[in-house]
Amino acid sequence: MKFLGIIVVVITGALLVYTTGDFPSWSDPASPASTHVSPHYIEKGMHETAAPNIVTAVLADYRGFDTLFETTVVFCAGVVCFFLLRIPGRSPFTECQYRHKATGITVRVKHDRKMSGSFGEFERIDTLWTPHDLIIQTACRILIPFIQLFALYVIAHGHHSPGGGFQGGVILGASIILLAISHDLRTALDRLGEKAHAILCSVGVLVYAGTGAVCMVLGFNFLDYGALARILHVDPVMARSHGILVVEVGVGLAVMAALIWIYSNVSSRGNYDEGL
Amino acid sequence: MSSQYPGLLIIVPLLSALLISVAGWVNKRLCFPIAVVGLSVALYASIGLLLRVLAADPALDGGVVLYRLGGWDPPWGIAYYVDRLNALVLVVVSVSALLNLIATKNDVRESFSTKIGAFYTLYILLVTGLLGITVTGDAFNLYVLLEITALTGYGLIAMGGEYRAPLASLNYVYMGTIGACFYLLGVGYLYMITGSLNMADIASILPGLYDSKVVLAAFVICMVGVWLKMGFFPLHAWLPNAYTYAPSAVSSLIAPLMTKVMIYVMIRLMLTVFTPEFTFSVLALQTSVVWLAVIAIVMGSILALGAPDVKKMLTYIIVAEVGYMVGGAWLGNRAGMTGSILHIANDALMTLCVFLAVGNVVYRVKGYGFDDLRGIFVKMPFTMIGFVAGAFSIIGVPPTCGFFSKWYLISGGIEAGHYGFVAALVFSSLINAVLFFKLIEVGYYGSEDAHHHHGTTPVSMAEAPVSMVVPLLIVAGGLIAVGLYTGDIVARIIDPVIAQTIMD
Repeated sequence: MKFLGIIVVVITGALLVYTTGDFPSWSDPASPASTHVSPHYIEKGMHETAAPNIVTAVLADYRGFDTLFETTVVFCAGVVCFFLLRIPGRSPFTECQYRHKATGITVRVKHDRKMSGSFGEFERIDTLWTPHDLIIQTACRILIPFIQLFALYVIAHGHHSPGGGFQGGVILGASIILLAISHDLRTALDRLGEKAHAILCSVGVLVYAGTGAVCMVLGFNFLDYGALARILHVDPVMARSHGILVVEVGVGLAVMAALIWIYSNVSSRGNYDEGL
Repeated sequence: MSSQYPGLLIIVPLLSALLISVAGWVNKRLCFPIAVVGLSVALYASIGLLLRVLAADPALDGGVVLYRLGGWDPPWGIAYYVDRLNALVLVVVSVSALLNLIATKNDVRESFSTKIGAFYTLYILLVTGLLGITVTGDAFNLYVLLEITALTGYGLIAMGGEYRAPLASLNYVYMGTIGACFYLLGVGYLYMITGSLNMADIASILPGLYDSKVVLAAFVICMVGVWLKMGFFPLHAWLPNAYTYAPSAVSSLIAPLMTKVMIYVMIRLMLTVFTPEFTFSVLALQTSVVWLAVIAIVMGSILALGAPDVKKMLTYIIVAEVGYMVGGAWLGNRAGMTGSILHIANDALMTLCVFLAVGNVVYRVKGYGFDDLRGIFVKMPFTMIGFVAGAFSIIGVPPTCGFFSKWYLISGGIEAGHYGFVAALVFSSLINAVLFFKLIEVGYYGSEDAHHHHGTTPVSMAEAPVSMVVPLLIVAGGLIAVGLYTGDIVARIIDPVIAQTIMD
């Protein structure tokens, strides 16, 4: 069976190599890919969408419908992770570790009901993560606001420079995951809870799809941002540029929430209590 | 309003999936009604589209409804093209999805009580993906929606109650991802050689490039990817387990629709993107593919004979049915292609019918082994009426629709002089008859045996709830109705499709 597999792989590989003979040559300006559709984007993109970044113009406007569904794929991944992993109900831990803040002494407490994260001079710590990392925690606390500011810049500036909703959303999500890694999952969840992950994730895609639906209500085709001109009181080309921005914000929200949602479910094995 | 049908068809289910996801966290009771509304609008839009396409004059604009997403003209933007072929598939998909949604309401409420929002979100997104694959005229957009259906499908299958469900789903993840990658690679090749992603545009550029090896590779790679996704025989290994261990509400959605939509994609690639001239004349693959289909039919039927339980038996029958449709499409004549397209609709309905019936049985009896069927005709008479109708249709008994598509397929085989295919069809029908009469025997006479040996009390009637039985009986009635109107469907929908692509 293994031998058969190798034969199939070799034959497929050989066929693929054989067909490379008819490929257009590398970086050939006369190749079909650079002469058929792309000249239109390069020459007219700016006039039609008022977005200087051609990639953004193609991604969020000319082929914006694909991007809507790419965002939906990210949303789907979040929902599937929740669907498969989340164990609803109380924390499965009957024994938790607490650290005395002043002295660093660790105590183990048995209880049969869910306790609050910390009480008095004691703070709850994960069973598998006991070191007290003052330097890492402080450094991350200082870094995180700047990371988030940068993420907002990347989202907002997507149609002028490299960037956009996906990249900005990932950076935003990473900042919260950094908080979860440097402190613990419960600290991150106190800032942004499970319900917020789930609802923000759908709201992000709703912002995107809703923008398209508004265009439809105004009597244009789905995602034809030109329709927004009537609401925004600008000319249709500028309305496209604004439409791209709104959509990018939606993508950013959805991607950020999906990342945190997936991280929380995977790292805590679905119980949302102790995690990496 | 009616010019927005192609948009509404996709957008309303998408929006309703997102709203369901929110509702799952706010008020769980809203999830099901939103889902019903979303799919009802999709059904309304797809029927509206079918009527519009039927009313359109083929001579005027090719009888195609064009919808520009974002208002961009193709090939720069993405466009939807609705012709008779995909209008038919759209109606089949939305009808089946809506009926299955209603039929499985009780089952879902009991199996997924805490995660009902996530379940319906994934369910509606899966249907959105299937509708999107069918309606789109853009080769890359098709891939994106393929991803949506795949991802939601993996999640839904893995939540089957049995311990083997996650493993079956993982297997499907590997195979499905490879299949999607192959399709994407093929689209990449096409883009490289034509510079376009729009199907109609690609089709207009390709004739000058038929001797290019890249086009050949693109065709073969796309086909292999699509075959993997539909479970065509040597590539079917993921299918039986994934469809068997899925929750019954999911089996009866995915089993009828997923493979059929992939067959539609194959036919679309063969007829529209690569023209029949390329598929049947330039390439010398035709006969070998039909022989592959013959092997698929024979092996599917034999494996179905050896299946350990009802659900797995039905999944192997699907493998054989995929062979019917691939073989019919590749026969390269009118009758074969007609049979293949007709069988997409018929097979979707009859698979839905038998899977709904099995779902009802599982709901009451909590099992789908052959032994669980003992005395089932007494216990669940209405469910079994539906099951028998579906079974007769799969066997190909005349008033039901299965007979007519099989008729076209067989006459296509005779016309093409491919008697191996004809023999395989007859063989498979006989095996199906054996399989289903065995089931009917166990269900009808089995109760007396159980009474004799174990001394149990005679079984009393324990029919599934009305909301589960009525959709099943509607589908069962639909099988006969579609069978009786076959002539109309072929003359008004399928013949013009084939005539447009100038097949002899």
